[in-house]
Formats: sequence, C-alpha cells, structure tokens
Amino acid sequence: MSLHDALVAPFAYEFMGRALLSAVLLGVSGGLIGCILVLRRLALMGDALSHSLLPGVAAAWYFFGTSTTALFFGGLAAGLLTALGSALLSRMTRVKEDAAFGSLFIVFFGAGVALVSKLPTRINLTDFLFGNVLGVNRGELQLAAAVCVLTVAVFVVFYRSVLLETFDPVFHRATGGRGGLVHMGFLALTVLNLVAAMQTMGVVLALGLFLLPAVSAYLWCDRFMTMLLLSVAIAVVNCAVGILVSFHAGLASGASIVLCLGVVFILSAVFSPRHGALGALRLSSGRRPQP
Amino acid sequence: MTDEHNIISFRGVTVRYGRVTALQDVSFQIPCGSSTAILGANGAGKSTLLRAVMGWQRLNAGEIRIGDEHPQHARPRLAYVPQRHSVDWDFPITVRGVVEQGRYPALRLFHGLSPGDRGRVEAAMEELGIANLADRQIRMLSGGQQQRVFLARAVAQGGDIFLLDEPFAGLDLFGSEELTHILKAWVEQGRTVLAAVHDLGVARSCFARGVLLKTTLVAAGPIEEVLSPANIDVAYRGGHCVHKDHVHGGGQP
Repeated sequence: MSLHDALVAPFAYEFMGRALLSAVLLGVSGGLIGCILVLRRLALMGDALSHSLLPGVAAAWYFFGTSTTALFFGGLAAGLLTALGSALLSRMTRVKEDAAFGSLFIVFFGAGVALVSKLPTRINLTDFLFGNVLGVNRGELQLAAAVCVLTVAVFVVFYRSVLLETFDPVFHRATGGRGGLVHMGFLALTVLNLVAAMQTMGVVLALGLFLLPAVSAYLWCDRFMTMLLLSVAIAVVNCAVGILVSFHAGLASGASIVLCLGVVFILSAVFSPRHGALGALRLSSGRRPQP
Repeated sequence: MTDEHNIISFRGVTVRYGRVTALQDVSFQIPCGSSTAILGANGAGKSTLLRAVMGWQRLNAGEIRIGDEHPQHARPRLAYVPQRHSVDWDFPITVRGVVEQGRYPALRLFHGLSPGDRGRVEAAMEELGIANLADRQIRMLSGGQQQRVFLARAVAQGGDIFLLDEPFAGLDLFGSEELTHILKAWVEQGRTVLAAVHDLGVARSCFARGVLLKTTLVAAGPIEEVLSPANIDVAYRGGHCVHKDHVHGGGQP
C-alpha cells in the first residue's frame, strides 16, 4: 500500500471526509475543554456526565428518529439534569457531590441502556456507546462546527475569566468575577461538546477526546496558553490518525482515536523531561521544593 | 457620621448561613494605615468577616463602609490575598503570569495588558523581591516565595487596603519573619492591612491592632488590650457551646 493509498485515498469517500472534518472540529473544542477539566480536577465528573447523556439521546431517537436537533436536545437535557440533580442532592442531603454524581449517572446510564435495548433492532447499542464514524451526517457535522466555533469564541473572549476561575476561584470572586456563572457556563459548554462528540466517539469514549490531549499537554507545559494550544494540536492530529486507523483496521472510530491519544499520553507520562516518570526518577530527590 | 480616620467601619453586622449564625451584631472601626489581626477560634467568623469586607457576603443586618462607600463600590481600593493552599501550585503558570492577574479586574474586554499595566506588574515583583523568579513555574518556589507571589499580585492590583486570609499558615520561621517585615513596611507606607490570623504570638509581634471574634465581637482595639487573659479566656476557652454566653460588649440588649 502506497503512502497515498494509506493517507489520502480514504478521504475520497464522502463519509470519510465528513468523519475527518467532524473529528478535527471536535478535537479543537475538546482539547480546550479538556484542559479545564484536568486543571480543575473535574476529569471523573466529566466521565460521569458523558455516560449520563445516553437516556436523553435514546429517548430522542425513540420519539423523533435520527433528527440531529432532537438528539442534541435529548442529550443536553439528560446531561444538565444530571449536573443539576447532583448539585441539588449534595446541597439538600447528607450525600457529598462526588457520590451524588456517581449515583445519578449510573442510574441514568442504566436507564439509557434499557431504552436502547427497546429501540428498533436496526439501531446498534455499540454505535451509541463507542461511536460510528460512518454515521456522521450533514446535520451532525454542522453541529460539531457550531459547537467548535462557540467553544473557541468563549475561550478567546473570556480567556482571563477562564484562567482566573480555573487557577484561583477565590481571587476571581474577590476581584468581582462572576465565578458561579463561569462555572455553570463551562459545564453547559462541556455538555454541548459531549453531545456533539457522541456520534463519532460514543458516550463511553467521548471524554477520552477531551481528557487525553489535555493531560498529555499538562505533562509538557508550564504556561496555560501553551497547554491549551498543545492540547488542541494533539487532539487534532490524533483524530486524523485515529480516523485513518479506524478505516484501515476496521475498528470503531472512537476506540481508534482514543487508542492513538492513549499512546501520546503514555509516552508523555514516561518521557516528559520535567513532569514525567523518567524525569522524576532522574531528579529523584530535591529540585522540587515542597511548599 | 463617618470618621475620616477610620477606613473600615462595621455597624451591627450580622451574617447567618441558614440557621447557623456566623457573625452576630459586630461593630468596630479600623483606622487608616493600621495593621489589624482578625482573631478567634475556628468557626468564630474570621473568614466570614473578610468576605463581608470584600462585599461578597450578604449581610442579614447592619452595614459595612469602606471610607464612605459600600464595599462593592470600593473594590478598586481592596487587594485580596487568598490562603496559599487554596490554589494548585502545579498549575501551568509562571510567577509573572500570577502577578499579571492583579491587573485583570482593571482590564476591559478584548484589551490586553497596556505598557502601564506591565510596568505595575514589574514594579510589584521588584517590591516583593521576586523579579528574578518571573519566568519560573510557581511550583519551583519555596513557601515564602509563593506567599510573596500572592502579595505581589495584590500590590499589582493597586489598592491601598490589603485583606489577607491566614497569610502565616504553613510558613516556616524564616518565611514568617519575612512576611512580618513586608507587612510592617506596607503599614509604614500608609497601607491598611487586615489579616485573619490564628497564631496569637504572630498577632502580637506583627500587628498593632486586633479584632477578637466569637461570633459576637469579644474585643477590638490595640492588640495587647484585645489579647488580655480575660478576653482570650472568653474567645478560646469558653467551651464549644455557640455564642450568647457571658460575652461582654457585642451590643446585645
């Protein structure tokens, strides 16, 4: 197989072109969102949130068929319900927020799996869970583009608020920042991105596209802006590579993208000179004064 | 009504969280250019008082004035230093990046730092002696240096009233002495310093005045008077049953 056959020829198929474009768009916004999830230690919450989208999407599918708009609002409703429900549970009962989130999302996920199993047989559960790149239609591509533009715009316009709220929410509040608003806006943006990523990545794997580039970039960068840019670059490149691997190896697209990103992450975790495992072994003691 | 020598005044301030009372009918004044330690056992209302001064704590009764103004309108005069362990020091940011945050509140949307802003950032780092560390990631600093980064960010804000939340927490002996030195220099420059402190020894050696809380006000004034054995007994040894025991002052009917 020539280089042309391996890298370029697949995109002659219209669905491959759409898949690539949608994955790249999602990589841009997912790479940005992931940085905040990693730095604010919301990684596991993001994971729970992504699982909780399933019943909303399945219900939308059941009632409205393959309409992208319906799927979008179904997922959005389920995600926001989980976020809101666990916030309420943790405030009004003894249950702490992590346990509230963990309990609610698994109930939602269970309901989602039950719903999907009741759907007409031609719809495959694995498509919901792990993504199906063949299924990316024009509407979903438009959704990915809109979400990407919105996410980039929010990061550009509110860059300083995002940085302050992520680094030091108390100081942000003290200087007149609307911390609660920024946080809720961020959660909503995360849900939007998860919904948009669902067709390509599936609900189980969507978060990998957000987290893995960010956590890899975190291992290399000592500046916030550099981390954002590197995270986006890692996400975009690996989405393209992952789509090609998926095409040639006949793998689920979500899985192959996550695997490519996983390789980058593990290499970063081992070889990053300052923050990786080898670096830590080399320095072993001293150098990093403890506060 | 306002006294021009008093920069912060509390009049009958009461704050409740649901059924829990955090501050009950607290009144005192803080003179301009003074250093004041806010003292009291855990849960006595120190943090609530600081938040109230910042203007982001709703009061159930009473009022607070910064100069002649409501705290929210006095925000440009206030510089805030959070607790050092409230942030993740592994965050990908340099010393200069943190100090620049002090200028953020003054910036308009779509506008970056002006040369004037950058000048203030550099001057603040010079003042705190961290200009040579400007491009370091913040984990690569000692505890005392990290504290000075936060102080420099507050200086860069350009206010004249400094509010510090437990600034001595977790500092070693050298770091504490260094911080004492810095705060005293600030007061000599005419700045007003208000800090939540839990160590009475530090309060005596570093602050001229004190505000001792136990939900109600136990005492306010010169630090030696505030920290009299009788007052300490009331504030710290009066058992754990909440407020309303034999507290003198506090203005309860």
